[in-house]
Amino acid sequence: MGVLSEHVIEEIRGLPAQFPDIRSAVMPALDLAQEHVGYLSPEAMSEVAELLKLDPGYVQGVATFYTLFHTEPVGKHRMYLCTNISCKLRGADDLLAHAMQSVGVGGQSEVSADGLFSVEAVECLGACEYAPMMRLDHSYHYDLTAEKIDALIAERKNVLPIHGEVPAKPAEGPPAAPAKPARKRAAAPRKKKADA
Amino acid sequence: MPELRGTTKGPVLTRWFGTDNLHTLDVYEKLGGYGAMRKALTTMNPDQIVQEVKDSGLRGRGGADFSTGVKWSLMPKESALPMHLVVNADESEPGSAKDRYLMENSPHMLLEGIGIAAFAIRSHQAWIYIRGEYDGPYERLVTAIGEMKKKGYIGPKPFGADWPLDVRIFRGHGAYICGEEGALLESLEGKRAQPRAWKPPYPAQKGVWNRPTTVNNVETISTVPWIIENGGAAYAKLGTEKSHGTRMFTVSGHVQRPGNYEMEIGKTYRDLIEGLAGGALPGHTIKAWWPGGSSSPVMPGDLLDTTTDLDGVKNVANLKSHPQPPLNMGGRAFATMGGSGGVIVMDESFCMVKAAHRLLQFYAHESCGKCTPCRVGGNWAVRAYERILSGEGGTEDLGILDRIQDGLQAGRCLCGLGDAAGWVIASTLTHYRSEYEEHALHNVCSAEMAAVNATSPLAGRTNA
Ligand SMILES: Cc1cc2nc3c(=O)[nH]c(=O)nc-3n(C[C@H](O)[C@H](O)[C@H](O)COP(=O)(O)O)c2cc1C
Ligand code: FES
Repeated sequence: MGVLSEHVIEEIRGLPAQFPDIRSAVMPALDLAQEHVGYLSPEAMSEVAELLKLDPGYVQGVATFYTLFHTEPVGKHRMYLCTNISCKLRGADDLLAHAMQSVGVGGQSEVSADGLFSVEAVECLGACEYAPMMRLDHSYHYDLTAEKIDALIAERKNVLPIHGEVPAKPAEGPPAAPAKPARKRAAAPRKKKADA
Repeated sequence: MPELRGTTKGPVLTRWFGTDNLHTLDVYEKLGGYGAMRKALTTMNPDQIVQEVKDSGLRGRGGADFSTGVKWSLMPKESALPMHLVVNADESEPGSAKDRYLMENSPHMLLEGIGIAAFAIRSHQAWIYIRGEYDGPYERLVTAIGEMKKKGYIGPKPFGADWPLDVRIFRGHGAYICGEEGALLESLEGKRAQPRAWKPPYPAQKGVWNRPTTVNNVETISTVPWIIENGGAAYAKLGTEKSHGTRMFTVSGHVQRPGNYEMEIGKTYRDLIEGLAGGALPGHTIKAWWPGGSSSPVMPGDLLDTTTDLDGVKNVANLKSHPQPPLNMGGRAFATMGGSGGVIVMDESFCMVKAAHRLLQFYAHESCGKCTPCRVGGNWAVRAYERILSGEGGTEDLGILDRIQDGLQAGRCLCGLGDAAGWVIASTLTHYRSEYEEHALHNVCSAEMAAVNATSPLAGRTNA
């Protein structure tokens, strides 16, 4: 009656054999647990610890060190927007503010009301020639603009009936924010009143 | 795949780039790929390979410029424990994207290099430590390893040689410090990634799982097939007297053609930034550039004629009439460094104090917390920047920043992350002191004022 399903448990049990030391299995195991549960809840972490016969404190210590492990709930879709120097030089801060406003979150620890999105400002993602860029779930998106971000959001809101590659048209109606907020903003903006 | 931005058909690493489906084994092999691995495993012995790589003069492309052949020769010739090659594919240095470019376009070049390098250091199992965010390159490598196994190039007898090879991938989970080799090995062991205490022991004696280990960067290993195919002497003919060959540069920021460029070492940063990357955006001028990722000290825009020679770039004479920042690398003064090859270009529309603030946020956030100067210094600096940028600072904050940079440098920290943070402060504070003073004393930002008046399509968005 744990939070991990049988097949995830099986997979985790198979991990230690791939390494000379069982501890090396902890990150791949946490990864499987996170994919399954959505984030690393205390229960998920202690189940991983038990399966690997490791101290729960140790497992938690590893999970909290690495930024790709989430120990709090996150959105179904995670936007990781690069705000490091090369992306910042090309307008990443405005895009971050825009993305947050579009999905309706006020901070990086928030999940949108529909549970679909969370937005995180991250460090250089190693694709600086395509700045500004972001990682959305497991894929990179390049040469970002406010319009591109809105289209990606709309695509995920209007889940396609078939496995089509045709992106859904962005929802009609008022766009979430002007493409270019007129004033400068801090990296993690608070909810703002109209400032255009 | 997105549009490819960077060199195709370059001299060494990118010679086949731009060919359709280069990432598949078939295409790679038809072009001549795996010829070097076959040659190495069937006609050479490990010592000959190490010698060839020494002769080539290849120096590590992960940022420390250490001779690859010498590093390999430090591995024991016999060991009771298994030995490992660990490829550093953690690429997280701000401004650096070249390893991604190499892996996603030519995964087999890296894997062929791994086959040769592992044989040379007498290792039967290689690990690729790849940053977790690199889903695309990861998939490419997984597929490529599958193709190799099918052909037998990974397996009990690659190319008929009595020398089993196994290649595995380990995914990181988001931490800049994992690129530092000690922290990387800790992470591979399933621990929090903290640099190992003072060396020795070196990884060649006691690396991952206490076994003899060689850590090399993706680009370093990707260069090896060319060297084995064409000979160390041919590689040594490229480049300068002490910095041989070509290297990859990622050019990003305020240039017309950002991209990953392969260029012969010894040409100038002007050749790269103005030649290959097209120079400044229309109507703008280059104010500053970082030669090798954010960890390399910043250089003023009028010094683009600086050489890319790995030693020459460090020479303080490069600074000409500029004041010399108090930069210290292992007890020596230097101007800047080639680092990871991630060239970041910034024009006059962006404020240097804001850029430095952002970088210090990065180093403070990525500090692993193990050593005090780095853990504490980074955060202090961020607070000083916040005061200065909010108009609440004063000259005393410039003094504080100066003391912090001094406390971070000169090997006072456990690894290079602390030095890098100190170099950001020291180099920007020296070269752009007037911008710091404007903010601290008068709460004025002339870069922002210039940006408001500028006409470039990027102008309005650059100083957020
Ligand atoms: C803070 C820090 C981050 C580093 N990040 C990387 C990296 O992302 N990739 C890399 O290859 N080397 C990185 N290095 C350098 C490695 O420690 C090591 O020198 C290198 O991987 C050795 O390979 P090479 O000899 O082929 O260059 C980093 C060093 C430091 C101090
Ligand atoms: S700075 Fe954004 S990808 Fe490198």
